[in-house]
Amino acid sequence: MNDSESHSLPEWQPAQPRKRSSLPGTGDLSRRLMDDMDPEVLEFLKTTVNSFIKWDLVIFFFENPHTTDTIDNIARYIGRDAAVIKLDLEDLVRAQVLEQHASGTLTVYALTKDAQIREKIKHFVSASDDRQFRVKAIYHLIRGTR
Amino acid sequence: MERVKTGISGLDEMLDGGFLGQSANLVEGAPGTGKSTLGMQFIHSGIMQFNQPGLILTFEEFAQQYYDDATNFGWDFRALEQANKLRVIMTSPEVSYSDLGGVDGRIQTMIKEIGAQRILVDSLSHFDRLSEDPVALRGILYGFINSLKREGLTSLLTRESGALIGELESPEEDVAFVADSYLMLRYVEIESAIRKALLVLKLRGSDHAKDIRQYEITRNGIEVQSKFEGREGIMSGSPRRMADSFVEAFVRR
Repeated sequence: MNDSESHSLPEWQPAQPRKRSSLPGTGDLSRRLMDDMDPEVLEFLKTTVNSFIKWDLVIFFFENPHTTDTIDNIARYIGRDAAVIKLDLEDLVRAQVLEQHASGTLTVYALTKDAQIREKIKHFVSASDDRQFRVKAIYHLIRGTR
Repeated sequence: MERVKTGISGLDEMLDGGFLGQSANLVEGAPGTGKSTLGMQFIHSGIMQFNQPGLILTFEEFAQQYYDDATNFGWDFRALEQANKLRVIMTSPEVSYSDLGGVDGRIQTMIKEIGAQRILVDSLSHFDRLSEDPVALRGILYGFINSLKREGLTSLLTRESGALIGELESPEEDVAFVADSYLMLRYVEIESAIRKALLVLKLRGSDHAKDIRQYEITRNGIEVQSKFEGREGIMSGSPRRMADSFVEAFVRR
């Protein structure tokens, strides 16, 4: 190879890594999926119901709004183990979705009485009746668990 | 003495006008005999006919199940909850016992919030898990029932019996001693068909019907009908015609 040939070749560039957002099924899709969600519901999903266990708990308390019980019994009601739901239950207490009370030697949990939060829960549960929403929300939760 | 009507035609007549005010009333029966339906009807009638708000404490069935079951009878429990006339509380014996035994518990607060006068506890059988000692269990049940009375509630307490047909031995802690009235619901086999029978076994401090009545669960709830005529051994589950048993008694001799 002479000098003129070498000059005619384009300068070698290492391959640029493809941006994650340009790959099908990742960032772009995620954004597209979330873009048409109600912002308030999306926010609730991202900040409050951000695990499958929390989703189960929120649905359970929405459908049985006057439930007052211990972690062991609540776990049984949603068909899970108490040790598995403990952190999520406590997160929901911190998010003020649930209230925690002492009853004698027992610690019991119940749905918040706060009307605004109850309205948010109602909005979320209503949205989750829609299959499209559920698909998007599940996708979001799966991404969140990675 | 003040009477708390169940609103169930035929049953109030058997109870000489209804349950006694602030009393504890035990309804015992096998699965499917209609204990919960009778209890829900007691609560619904109290609200709709007598303006007496009510509470349902459920230890097993989901509140959602009560809303759905009530809808089948044309009773809108969700609307009654929104109107602050009803609360369906899913909880456990240990929590309800602790809550009502303490001060300002969540269940106590709900009783006061809606001014509840009636309560359905479904079912008392779940208290069995609180103690294996029958004496201790009887003490727990006694305390629980008294806390309901203290709150001014007339209670209907269901209890499951294991056998589908026939009489059972009473458990040692027998809450029937603690309750003010005791109603038994039984399946009865007559001519290859299953019917349902109701008996008021006990009504403390009051007269009551001594006969055994048939009842049915209809679209409108429980309807108590006529008594079983010409038969005996109804509560055994396999009644015989009285004439047959009369003949049998003499033939055997």
